[in-house]
Amino acid sequence: MQALLSFDQAPPFSAPFRFFLTAPLFAMLAGVLLLWSGPELLASRWTPAALAVTHLITVGFMLQVMLGAMIQILPVVAGANMIRSLGVARLVHATIVPGALLLATGLLTFDPLWFRLAALALGFGLALFLAAAGHALHGVPSINPTILGLKLALTGLIITAGLGILLAIAVDGSIALPLPLLQLTTIHIGWGFVGWSAVLLFAVALVVVPMFQMTPPYPPRFASIFPWSLPLVLSFWSLAHAAGWPGLAALLTAVLVMTVGVFAVLTLHVQRRSKRARFDATQHYWRVAMLCALAACALSLAGTSLPALAESREWPLLCGVLALFGSLMSVMIGMLYKIVPFLVWLHLQNLGGGQVVAPTMNKVIAAQQIERQMQTHFAALALLLAAVIRPDWFAHLAGVALVLANGLLLRNLLGAVAFYQQHRRQIKLKTSSAALRQAAP
Amino acid sequence: MTRQAADIVVDARGLEPPEPMVRTMAALDQLGETERLLVLLPREPFPLYRALELNGFRWQTERQPDGTVEVLIQHQRQ
Repeated sequence: MQALLSFDQAPPFSAPFRFFLTAPLFAMLAGVLLLWSGPELLASRWTPAALAVTHLITVGFMLQVMLGAMIQILPVVAGANMIRSLGVARLVHATIVPGALLLATGLLTFDPLWFRLAALALGFGLALFLAAAGHALHGVPSINPTILGLKLALTGLIITAGLGILLAIAVDGSIALPLPLLQLTTIHIGWGFVGWSAVLLFAVALVVVPMFQMTPPYPPRFASIFPWSLPLVLSFWSLAHAAGWPGLAALLTAVLVMTVGVFAVLTLHVQRRSKRARFDATQHYWRVAMLCALAACALSLAGTSLPALAESREWPLLCGVLALFGSLMSVMIGMLYKIVPFLVWLHLQNLGGGQVVAPTMNKVIAAQQIERQMQTHFAALALLLAAVIRPDWFAHLAGVALVLANGLLLRNLLGAVAFYQQHRRQIKLKTSSAALRQAAP
Repeated sequence: MTRQAADIVVDARGLEPPEPMVRTMAALDQLGETERLLVLLPREPFPLYRALELNGFRWQTERQPDGTVEVLIQHQRQ
């Protein structure tokens, strides 16, 4: 009966893994760029190297993990099966990887050619992914906040990427933008952080936090309001920015920030009621991520009421490091440490067909290796924050720590793949020798 | 859907993956031709439905007000 697990429509092993294995390479590249640029990178949020590092993390690291996870999650939480998921994964991966590299090159050189090539590659890859995910979700009723959240997050991705591509094409002034560049950039950042990342994070958290962290569910009233309230407020916020109403835009920014803050507080609250006696790495990652999200929210609110703070060099950089590196990246790495062992177990269990039992999930990546990587990641976070305050002292150290933390992450993920391959060989040997014994007279 | 209608009950709420799947599979292994298995889960088990379909089971799902999803499973031949 164990063969029941042979879900014929489950995405093949390599479909999500190609994304998961590429993600740390981009973060390592971001670390190398920080090392190479040194303190000058942090002179402002607008330096070419700061913009390149930001996009190596968002389009390089985060987008890879999010797309890989979505390919895997859609059938499980929404019953939405992506047709030819391996083919889609191959094509999307083959276009967004060069797309992210071209974008970083464009941001470093400000050469319009790189921007155009990046827009082409990323536009094609994302359009393909969105078409495949949209087709899979077509006709799937939004019976719970997670399914609704996934659909809305994909809409957020369309808007984020659409605006990003528009900005990339218009960077040399060859086409007229409907709004000033800075306003469009602000709206692009808003949809990237909130409309895509926060909505997706929340939709997924509703399922994975109780499931993997043994917590009670999120309060149902909040769960049903959160997924649609963020995109709704964000739409009005975008209109206020586009119309040039700074007062209303600031008020709506505060609403958005506080909503995200409520989510972080609720997550910390349910985590405190976890049935697990001792926190594992995933829980530590989530706790730090939510604390960083709260710090980013507090800092962001402080900036709206204290103009002197908002105009400082450090303020946007601190908000960015806390939100991107401290919060979103931490959550994603924490989740990888659950998703990856689970997928390895599931595929090995399928392969065994009930005759060979797969090794348990916690053997896939040694706890000690996860612990070491987590500590390095937290050290890199602390150094990045310190580097914003004192670039001349900490920028190089932060770069080294970023490379090291993601090198360890890559090693852990490659170790999981090696574990899978080794056990797959053993299972194949056992099942084929069992079949031979049965066939023998 | 009442628990009395089931011969075997698997309460998989509050269990960490892959335990709900493992316990459901083990219970299906034991399920007699005329017996019914009731699985209690915290969410809709979409992958399980496909697996049940492939392996000749039929099922009925009910969502309870507390969020519990109850899946009553039996062999298709009945």
